[in-house]
Amino acid sequence: MITLPLANFLAQPVGVSQFVIVGAIMFTCGAVCMATKRNALGILMGIELVLNGANINFIAFGSPYLRSDAGSLGMDGQLMSLFVIVLAAAEAAVALAIALNFYNNFNSIDVDRANQLKG
Amino acid sequence: MDTSIYWPTFLFWFFAAVCCMFAIGVVLATNIVRMAFYLVLSLAASSGLFFLAGADFVGAMQLMIYVGGTLVLLIFGVMLTSQAKFVSMKTSQFDWTLAALAGLCLLAVLISAALAIPEWKGLERAEAESLGIPQTATPLGMGLLGARVDAPQRSGYLLVFEIVSVHLLVVLVGAAYLARAKRKRSTAVG
Amino acid sequence: MDPQTVIPNLLTIAWLLPLASFVIIWIAYSLPQLFGSRASYAIQPYGAYLAVGTIGLAFVLSAVTLLGFWLPTYPLSSHGHAEHGEHHKHEPSGHDKAGHDAGGNENHDSSDDSSAHLLPSHSTSSPFRWASETTASATATHHDAASAERPHNNTPPPSISGNWYTLAKCGDLEITLGYYIDALTVTMFCMVTLIATCVHVYALGYMHDELQEFTDPEVTTHDGKKLKRPGRFHRFFQYLSLFSFSMLGIVLAGNLAMMFVFWELVGICSYFLIGFYTERKSASTAANKAFIVNRVGDFGMLVGLMALWSTLGTFAFGDITREDGTVEPGIFSQLHTKENHYHLEPSPGMIQWAARDKIKEVVLEKGGAAIPATIEELRHDPNHQYGHWLLLIAGLGLFCGCVGKSAQFPLHVWLPDAMEGPTPVSALVHSATMVAAGVYLVGRAYPIFIPEVLLVIAVVGSITLFLAATIALTATDIKRVLAYSTISQLGYMMLGLGLGGFVAGLFHLITHAFFKGLLFLGSGSVIHAVHTNEMTEMGGLRKKMPITAYTMLIGCFAIIGAGLPIVHLGYFGLSGFFSKDAIIEQSFSHMTRNEAPWLWLLFLLPVVGALMTAFYMFRLWFMTFAGQPRDQHRFDHAHESPRVMTVPLIILAIFAIGVAWEIPGINLSVPKLLEQARPIGTLATVEGNLMSELVIPTEHDSHAFEIRLPAGLMASGMAAVGLLLAALLYLWRVVDPAKVRHNLLVRPLYALLWHKWWFDELYDLVFVKPTLWIGRFVAGFDRSVIDSILHACTWICRAMSVIVDVVGDRTLIDRTVDGIASYTWRGGLSLRRVQTGRLRQYIMFLVVGTIILFMIATIWRAAVAG
Repeated sequence: MITLPLANFLAQPVGVSQFVIVGAIMFTCGAVCMATKRNALGILMGIELVLNGANINFIAFGSPYLRSDAGSLGMDGQLMSLFVIVLAAAEAAVALAIALNFYNNFNSIDVDRANQLKG
Repeated sequence: MDTSIYWPTFLFWFFAAVCCMFAIGVVLATNIVRMAFYLVLSLAASSGLFFLAGADFVGAMQLMIYVGGTLVLLIFGVMLTSQAKFVSMKTSQFDWTLAALAGLCLLAVLISAALAIPEWKGLERAEAESLGIPQTATPLGMGLLGARVDAPQRSGYLLVFEIVSVHLLVVLVGAAYLARAKRKRSTAVG
Repeated sequence: MDPQTVIPNLLTIAWLLPLASFVIIWIAYSLPQLFGSRASYAIQPYGAYLAVGTIGLAFVLSAVTLLGFWLPTYPLSSHGHAEHGEHHKHEPSGHDKAGHDAGGNENHDSSDDSSAHLLPSHSTSSPFRWASETTASATATHHDAASAERPHNNTPPPSISGNWYTLAKCGDLEITLGYYIDALTVTMFCMVTLIATCVHVYALGYMHDELQEFTDPEVTTHDGKKLKRPGRFHRFFQYLSLFSFSMLGIVLAGNLAMMFVFWELVGICSYFLIGFYTERKSASTAANKAFIVNRVGDFGMLVGLMALWSTLGTFAFGDITREDGTVEPGIFSQLHTKENHYHLEPSPGMIQWAARDKIKEVVLEKGGAAIPATIEELRHDPNHQYGHWLLLIAGLGLFCGCVGKSAQFPLHVWLPDAMEGPTPVSALVHSATMVAAGVYLVGRAYPIFIPEVLLVIAVVGSITLFLAATIALTATDIKRVLAYSTISQLGYMMLGLGLGGFVAGLFHLITHAFFKGLLFLGSGSVIHAVHTNEMTEMGGLRKKMPITAYTMLIGCFAIIGAGLPIVHLGYFGLSGFFSKDAIIEQSFSHMTRNEAPWLWLLFLLPVVGALMTAFYMFRLWFMTFAGQPRDQHRFDHAHESPRVMTVPLIILAIFAIGVAWEIPGINLSVPKLLEQARPIGTLATVEGNLMSELVIPTEHDSHAFEIRLPAGLMASGMAAVGLLLAALLYLWRVVDPAKVRHNLLVRPLYALLWHKWWFDELYDLVFVKPTLWIGRFVAGFDRSVIDSILHACTWICRAMSVIVDVVGDRTLIDRTVDGIASYTWRGGLSLRRVQTGRLRQYIMFLVVGTIILFMIATIWRAAVAG
C-alpha cells in the first residue's frame, strides 16, 4: 500500500464529472482544431476528437461504476457509443471522399480556398 | 477511510492525461502527419478510459474501428493529399485568438456544468470495490438484436441497428462513387 | 237645353277655337321648321285661312250665345239707365215684385228704404228730364247713408260661374280654371271676336309681303345691303290666334289666378307680335320695353292678389257650388254680404287680420268662440277703420296691374314704341283688346274697390288722358298719334270707372274698340299705300284712297264724340258721342257732389282733353287726306287697298257709327247689357271711409237733366272748338303751324311735347342707367372679387394637392416604401457577407452558437431557480 500525501485525490473512486471533464476537454480541443486548421484533414481530425469526447460522455453516463443510484444509462450509454463510432466511421469516409475530390479539383487541400459558396 | 491508492483512479488520471495532452497536441501541431499520430494516441488512450468505465466491448471496438480503421483511412487520405510541395498553411493569429477564446468559454461552460451535479461526484470506495467486473459483449449483442437482458423494461436497438447498417452501406457506396478515379483532366476551378 | 250649361259650353268652345288654330298652325308650319323643312309659300295662306275661320266661328258662337241664349234667359230691363238713344217709356218690368218701386230696376232689393228710391218720374217722362226727385232721392240716400241704417244696394247680377278643372289644391285654397259669365262677359266676347275677325281678314291682305322672300327696308346687313329673309306669313297668324285665345281667356276667367295667367299670356303674345320683325333692333327693343313695363305693373297686381287670397281664402269671382250642394262664396259675395245690404264691407277675415292684436286678447280672455261677435263689434267701431286699409291695398295692387297693361301714367311709355309691330297688331292688340284688358279688370273687380281706390283710379286716368293728348298734338308719325290717342282714351275709361260710372267707362271701352280699330286699320291702309309712317310726307290722299279716307273720317267723328240733339227723338250721335258724354256727365255729377276744389280737375281735364282730342284727330285727317300732297312721288304711287283690306274698314265703320244705338225691335243695346252686368253693390252713392269727405255718386244721378245738359254741351262744344282749330291750322291754312311752332312762347312748350314730356329720358336716367350701372358693378364684382375668391380656392386646392403629393406621397409614403425596400435589400446585402464560404468560420459560428445557447440556458435556469 502506497500512501500519498494527496490521499483523497487518488483514494476515492472517480465520478461522472471527471469523465465529463475529460470529454469536455476532448470536445473543446476538437472544436478549436476544427476552427483553426486550414487543412481539410485537420478539420476531419477535429471532428473525430469531438465525436470521441461525446463518446466518453456517453460511456460515463452508462457506467455502473461511476454512479451509485439507478440513474446511469446502463447499456444504453454503451450502445449509443457504439452507434456513434459506426457513424463516425461512415462520416469520415464521406468526408474523406469530399476532401479527395476537392484536392483533385483544386490541387490544394486548403479549405480557405473553398469559398465558391461565398454569398 | 482507506487512504491507499485506488488504482482505478490512478489509471483514470493517467489515461486522461495522455488523452488530453495528445488532444492538445493535435490542436497545436502544424504537421499533418504529426497531428494524425497524436490523434491515434489520443484515441487509444480514450479507449483505455472506456475500459475503466466498464465498457469493455466498446473500448475494444474503439480500438478496432476507430483507431484501426478510421484513423488509418485518415492517414491514407493524408498520404493522398500531400503530394504537392509542402505549403505552409498557417492560420492567422487573430483566428487563433478567437478560437482559443471561444474554446475556453466553451470549456468553462462545460466544466461548470459537469461539476454542478452532485450525483456525479462518484461512488464510495467500499461500494466501488464491491462491484464486479461486468461482461458487456453479450448484453450489447442481445440489445442490438432487440432483447434487453440487463434492463428488460428498456427497448431494444434492433431498428437502430438496421438503420445504421443500411446507412453505412449507402455511405460507403456513395463515398466510393464520390472518390472514384476520374479521367485525367486539368485542375478545373469549381 | 239648360242655358246654365249651354252658355258656358258655347263660350268655352269659342275660347278654345283660336287655341286649336294656334296648335295646328304650330304643328304644321313652325314645328317642321325646327327640323329644317320650311313650308312653301303656296300653302302658307291655308294656315291663315284656318286662323280666320276659327276666329270667325268664335264670333258666330259668341253672337249666338248672346242672342240665342243669354237674352232669352236674362232679358234686359226695358229701360236702361244709361241709355241715351231713343226714347223709351219707363214701364214697370214684368220681373218686378209687387209693392216694389214702380218701374224701378229689377236689381233693387225689395227691403228697407225702397220708397226712398221710388222714381215716379220714370213712369212718365223721357230720359231728358228726370225730375228733381232723382236728386231728392239721391240726397235722401245720402242722408240715409249718414244714419245708422244703410240704404239698399243692388243685388248680384245674373251670372253663371263654375270650374272646369282644378289645377292645384292646398287645404282650403284652390287654383282652378273656371268661368264667370255675365252680360259683360258675353258683350266682351262679341266685341273681341268681331274685331279680331276683322283684323285677321285685314291681315290676310296687309301681310302679303310675307308670302315671298322679304326685304326689310329698315335693316342693313354688314355689307351695306338690305336684309333679305324668308317670309313668315304663317307665324303672324299663329301669334294672332294665340293672342285671341289669351284675350278671350282673360274675359272668360272665373277667378283672379286664371286671369293673371292669361294676363301674362297676353303680355307674351304682345311681345311676340311687337317684335314680329325681329331683325329690327327698334322692334325687339320695343317688345322688351312692353313686356318689362307690363311686368312692373304685375308686381303690384301680385301684391293685390296676395292680400285678397290671404284674407278671403278664394280667388273666384262668383259663388261655386260643390257637388255636395254647399255653396262657397266668391270674392264678391264675401265683400258684399246680404246682412250689410250688399254694401262693400271688409270681410271678417280682413277685420280679423287688421285687428289681430285685439282678437288675440279676446281669445285669451274668452276663448275662440267669441271671435265672430268681436269682429262684428270691431266692424262698427267708428274710430278705427278695420279692414279698410287692407281693401285699399288690394284695390291699389290690382289697379297697378291695370296701369301697366292699359298704359296709364306712369307706365304709359311702352305703348308708343309698340307701334313697331305691324299695323294689324296695333289695331287688335294695342287699341282694341289687350290694352282694354286693364279696363276690363277694373270693371270686373269693381266691387272690390273702395271709394279711395276709385279716386286714385280716376286721378291716374285723368292725368293720363291729359298727358297723352298733349303729346299727340305734336306727333308726326301717324301711328304714334293714334297710340297716344289710345292712351288718352284709356285714361278716359279709367276716369269714368273711377268716378263711379261703371257703365260709362265700359261703354267707352266697347265703342273705343271699334273706332280705334277702324282708325288703326285705316292708317295701316295708308302706310301700305305710301310706304311711310310720317304724315309730313302725306297729303291729299283722299283722292287716291277714298274708302280709307271716308271710313277714317267716320272714325274721327266717332272719337271726338260728334252728335247732335234731335229734339223729339233724343240725341243723334256716333258711338263715341254717347260713351264720351256718359263719362263727362259722370264727372260733372261727381264734381257737384264733392266740395274739394282739386276734385274739379277731374271734370276740367276730360273737357280740355275732348278739345285736344278733336284737334289732333282732325289734324291727322287733314294732314293725311286733305290739302296738297307733300311728297309727289309717294302720292303718285299711292293706291287704294285691295278689298280684303277695305271690307273690314267698312264693317268697323258701320259699328263705329251705330254700336251705341239700340237695336229696334229686340230689347238690346250695349248700355243696357252693361247695366245688367252691374256688379253687386255698385249702384248706391257711397262715401269714403278713410277719406270721409269723398263721395262717389250713383251712376243713375248722372242721367238727371241738370247734369246731362251742361255736361253734354261742354263736351260737344269743346269738340267743335277743337275741330275748328284743326281746320284753321291744317285745312284752310289760316295760320301756318310752322310759324306757331317757332313762336318764342310756344317753342319751349313745343319742345316739351315733342320729347313726350321727357318721360323716356327720365326713366332711362332713373331706372335704366342705374340698373345697368348696378349690373356692370355686380358683374365687375363677380369678376374681381368672387372669381378671385374662386381662383384663390382653386389655387389653394392645387397647392394642397401639390403639398400632399410632394410631402405626403413622395416623401413620406414613397420614401417609406422605398426605404423599406432598400433597407431590406441592404440588410440582405450585408447579411450576405456572413456567407464567406469559409468553412472554418462556419465552424466557429457553430461553436460560438453553442456557447451562447449554453449561456442562455444557464442564465435562464439561474433566473428561474433564483
